[in-house]
Amino acid sequence: MAAACTSRTRQMMGLLRILRNFSQNERLLSTSVLRHNVASDGPPKFTPPSKPVIIDKTQKEASLRRFLSPEFIPPRQRTNPVKFSIERKDMIQRRKVLNIPEFYAGSILAVTMTDPHVNGNMNRFIGICIQRSGKGLGATFILRNVVDGQGVEICYELYSPRMRKIEVLKLEKRLDDNLMYLRDALPEYSTFNFDMQPVHYEITGDVPVNLLKVKMRPKPWSKRWERPKFNIKGIHFDLCLTPEMMEHAQKWAEPWRPYDMLKEYDTSSLEEHIFKEVQENLRK
Amino acid sequence: MMEAAAGRTRGAAELWFSCIRTHRTNTWWDEHLTEDNASFLKKVVTEEYKQQTTDKLNPLKDEPWPRHEWVEGSRRVGLVAVKLGMMPVWTKSGERHVVTMLQVQDCHVVKHLSKEEYEGHTAALIVGGKNVSPFHRPEGYLEVFRNAGVPPKQKLTTFCVSDNAIIKPGTPLYAAHFRPGQYVDVTAKTIGKGFQGVMKRWGFKGQPASHGQTKTHRRPGSLGPGGDPAKVFKGKKMPGRMGNIYDTTHGLKVWRVNTKYNILYVNGSVPGHRNCLVKVRDSILPTRLENNKNPPFPTFFADGDEEIPEDLYDQDMFQFGEPMAE
Repeated sequence: MAAACTSRTRQMMGLLRILRNFSQNERLLSTSVLRHNVASDGPPKFTPPSKPVIIDKTQKEASLRRFLSPEFIPPRQRTNPVKFSIERKDMIQRRKVLNIPEFYAGSILAVTMTDPHVNGNMNRFIGICIQRSGKGLGATFILRNVVDGQGVEICYELYSPRMRKIEVLKLEKRLDDNLMYLRDALPEYSTFNFDMQPVHYEITGDVPVNLLKVKMRPKPWSKRWERPKFNIKGIHFDLCLTPEMMEHAQKWAEPWRPYDMLKEYDTSSLEEHIFKEVQENLRK
Repeated sequence: MMEAAAGRTRGAAELWFSCIRTHRTNTWWDEHLTEDNASFLKKVVTEEYKQQTTDKLNPLKDEPWPRHEWVEGSRRVGLVAVKLGMMPVWTKSGERHVVTMLQVQDCHVVKHLSKEEYEGHTAALIVGGKNVSPFHRPEGYLEVFRNAGVPPKQKLTTFCVSDNAIIKPGTPLYAAHFRPGQYVDVTAKTIGKGFQGVMKRWGFKGQPASHGQTKTHRRPGSLGPGGDPAKVFKGKKMPGRMGNIYDTTHGLKVWRVNTKYNILYVNGSVPGHRNCLVKVRDSILPTRLENNKNPPFPTFFADGDEEIPEDLYDQDMFQFGEPMAE
């Protein structure tokens, strides 16, 4: 009897160990499965305590990070706001079906897309997001990775019907919004393992900023990244450029730009408005 | 001569300067009104428009003209719409196309010209687009709208129409007049580019940038054959003002119709800048006649007998709320 009990518990612990690797939803399943097994056994022998299922209700809404995806903010144009509101409706409809998580340039994502040319129809790619561009439904993001020594960049459309899953493996920000300079950096900074496991990230508080300064390949680069128009803080210039070259690059500085009133675009009120609208509609 | 005579009557001094002194007679509507009066007029006008539009919402109330069935070879009215912008659209197989959004704002039929009045072959219907204030328009322009009982419009266009498709002036026209899967021609005034050279205006190749070219990189080159005609033919493509002319794009597919906001999603690009008024019509291309069969004829009436869903989609189009297939 004792032997059967221990074998059963060993089986259960084995089950638990396997099931622990899965996500929360399946954890719920596992507890129900355990209970079912126990009930069919007869008088309960040793029931291991049910795994606590962590639901977010303890966290107040106010402490959750407010994130509005940048493609919701309309550009500064002379277009009728009706056009943007209708596009936003479509975007929200799509988001109800496909979960598009919060991510920034510098986060590592895994994207699964349908591909008619692949055997299993699905195509999974992992890479670091180097750029997020486009507004409205045509919003895109570029993932970069080095595969077998060859740098590969794929531009994905967020709202394309071919997207199946977008997972954030590591959520972090870098010192810049645009990491195109990784093309001229050493390949180690763009290589990510395809078997990478997701790293846990907080839903509250600020996004972690990676203060990494990247080492570059010898010049010539695809663009002159030292010039102030790119305003790049994430490159270790001291290792690749002399102070004279840095001074020479400052010739292209435009010191009047911060005072240019025509370039001012204050989106704070728009953002709040749109954030409320999006949250309301997503909850429906 | 007339001006000189007028100068002599006015005074001797003006004779020597031979300038024409005119007394300004034009004035704007606000000039001799107090602020109160002006604001009152504005309020009254907006209320009047609302009243007029609501009156015209039920065509059944005011003796409508008989409605006929669609026959092959009959031409129906078109619409006047506002170009809102563009956005991407995906088919169910995953191909991406771009569409232009055209919003039909306050489109009314304003006048009916019978065959004899118009040209002798077809009848015509004049349709007006977006509502506009009456204060800065001439009286003659406003008279047409007063007769129809409709607020004044920014753009008026004429549509040649077969006799079984005539509509009573004052009926509102909606975006549901066109259905997804139909093909449409869109006419609008192109964006004005000003005085442009021959490479941009006519697509000439120009000359190479280097290899000894002296001051000749974007010029037209030769103007034609030599001594035999000894002239430049009329219509020779040369630099000049480009754009700001009416142009039509033919055979554009309608992907989606939003009946709530009256928006047409039309394939590809359309001439004109954002927020410009365009004329939308059934396509005349012979290969697209099959797709335009059995349209709402003579137009879509919002009387309430037909229940139309808020969004009408084309068969091939991917709808965003759909659960992901395959």
